[in-house]
Amino acid sequence: MWGRVVEIMTAVWLAASPFVFGLQSDMTLLWADIGIALLICVLSGLSYWRPTRHAHLLILVVSIALILWGRFAIMPPTPLHQNHIVIGLFLLMIAVVPNQASLPPKAWRKVLRCD
Amino acid sequence: MSDMTIPVDDLHRNVPPYHHNPSAWSQRIPICLLAFVAALISMHLSLYQWGFIESSYDPVFGDSSNKVLKSDTAKTMYGILGIHDAALGVLAYLGDAIFGFAGSTRRWQYRPWLVILFGIDVIPLGIVSVVLVGFQAFVVGQWCFLCLVTATISLILVYWAWDEVRVSLAYLRIVWKEHHDKRLLWDAIWGNRNERLDASGEQLLLREVT
Repeated sequence: MWGRVVEIMTAVWLAASPFVFGLQSDMTLLWADIGIALLICVLSGLSYWRPTRHAHLLILVVSIALILWGRFAIMPPTPLHQNHIVIGLFLLMIAVVPNQASLPPKAWRKVLRCD
Repeated sequence: MSDMTIPVDDLHRNVPPYHHNPSAWSQRIPICLLAFVAALISMHLSLYQWGFIESSYDPVFGDSSNKVLKSDTAKTMYGILGIHDAALGVLAYLGDAIFGFAGSTRRWQYRPWLVILFGIDVIPLGIVSVVLVGFQAFVVGQWCFLCLVTATISLILVYWAWDEVRVSLAYLRIVWKEHHDKRLLWDAIWGNRNERLDASGEQLLLREVT
């Protein structure tokens, strides 16, 4: 589940970003970043529960939205928006990593026998 | 679904024409480590482009690196991408490491989509690196030492990653040639399992190379 752990760590960075970039007084940006970070954490967390194990794939949608927001909100993008682009691109790669990525998929795993 | 069981050692079998398993950890970990080194180098270059450090490291060409990193070409790319090209390089190399690390030691058959994604990340990155070196030579007229290092790393990564991508594509080719079934090919790409895919994998493992 290392993919999900990295997603949650990235979400923590996103939530901290307005403070890192000194923009915590902009309430819209602050709550948008915290809200998106929370959404990423929820989707990653849901991936640990079997019925919603594919929830992490919804992070792809969040990533694309982050990239578009970062790229087109202000021209040229401010440092905080560049941060959104970078986080979006990074999550785009991490979100496709399967749960238990180092093991074979379940369908193959159950036919492997230890002689 | 087939009731057949597979010995767990099958995860580590060598795949012809190679005398090794291209998905083995011993093959993939060096790729991940080298990609991570390249990501760190690119991070240094992007810190300069962002203005966090005054100069980039260059023991060979001196101030030439700084001129490349702040050239009109770099600024044009920044205008298009919205982030500096070195920052995009960091993400691309991290992508190589992430996609290199994910998957089992038989992912060439169990998760071909992941190997293809890995190939899509590694191979175009190598081409882009060569193109950027060309830009340095013919457009900017200056050289950047660390950019040349990362370009060399990109080409090494292409060389190291190619065997696994080739084996995965060979497996998919066998699936298509044997069955001409789009649904089966789709299942093969996504790592679903059935008897016909077991047989195709076995056919690849047993093929004789002339």
